[in-house]
Amino acid sequence: MSSERRKTLIVVRRAPYGSSLSRASLDAALALAAFDQLVDILFMGDGVLHLLPDQMSSNIGVKNVGKLLSSLPLYDIDAVYLDASAAQQYQVDTANTPVTAQQLDNAGIQRLLAEYDHLLGF
Amino acid sequence: MIYSLLVLSSPVSGHTAQTAAAFAHAVLARGHSIKRVFFFDDGTYNGSSQAIFPQDETDRLQPWLDLSQQHSVELILCISSAIRRGLLDDTEAQRYDKSGSGIHSAFTVSGLGQLVDATAHSDRLVTFGG
Amino acid sequence: MVLHTVNASPSNAAFSQCLAVAAADDAIILMGDGVYGLISQCSAGQALAHCAAEIYALDKDMCAAGIKHKPEQVTLIDMDGFVQLSERYPRQIAWY
Repeated sequence: MSSERRKTLIVVRRAPYGSSLSRASLDAALALAAFDQLVDILFMGDGVLHLLPDQMSSNIGVKNVGKLLSSLPLYDIDAVYLDASAAQQYQVDTANTPVTAQQLDNAGIQRLLAEYDHLLGF
Repeated sequence: MIYSLLVLSSPVSGHTAQTAAAFAHAVLARGHSIKRVFFFDDGTYNGSSQAIFPQDETDRLQPWLDLSQQHSVELILCISSAIRRGLLDDTEAQRYDKSGSGIHSAFTVSGLGQLVDATAHSDRLVTFGG
Repeated sequence: MVLHTVNASPSNAAFSQCLAVAAADDAIILMGDGVYGLISQCSAGQALAHCAAEIYALDKDMCAAGIKHKPEQVTLIDMDGFVQLSERYPRQIAWY
């Protein structure tokens, strides 16, 4: 592997505002994209809660993750994936998410993981 | 092969950070090279020069120092993770007018570009979290 | 071919999420609290027995936890074994 353009998948498993890891995962994704690396994001388990609309994080004085996600296409992060069963459990309205995300079942996630050079689990 | 490590675990949440350091030593022992160890989020606490650990437990800093001093492994602390945890090197302490720096000299504070560079130039990227 | 490292106990969502997506040609290393999966009779612990991936456990962590017996299909490894697995599997994901 001598190529300098690797394909990385960021796997986000935590809800947006309860852990610093959430923001860390998105900062890593943005940095990869800014340096012209290939990067996609998978929201799994509680991570699907990043995709709830109308997040008003100013109420807790922190940056708005939903707004950040809506700008992902501008940063060349095109492929965003969503754990379908978690989305269903949390009643995430997949037609109304800050960024378009492709739903995957467990078999789909299994296939997805094998497509990347690097997997960063947060 | 070329390895890089991403360390998210603090030295005091379980022993994952110790496992990461032991893994790094084992990587070198098997003849591979390490491009860098990137400490992110709570992992930046591993770079503290001020932490005092129990005397009757394994030294948590020394394995990292050995990697740096004996094997020239780059130990990078993510600057945004570090400063919000009060881990400042001399430059940042001066910039923010804080007294004293709290990072061991074996560690360098830098940006996420170093993690990106690691992913671009490593055959294996191993993450330690929890 | 993915190397999964599970650093969470069987009652943690990370444990069952890993098992749900691990493929038959993957490997799973139980480390830290993950070693409790070797004794757990809860559904996640039992799911481990039916997982098609190769299952490994860090020997030091298993000893630290006081676990004396492991299922036959689980292989104990040391740090050198961990590195060997990372050589074989091109990508690793941490579950914790």
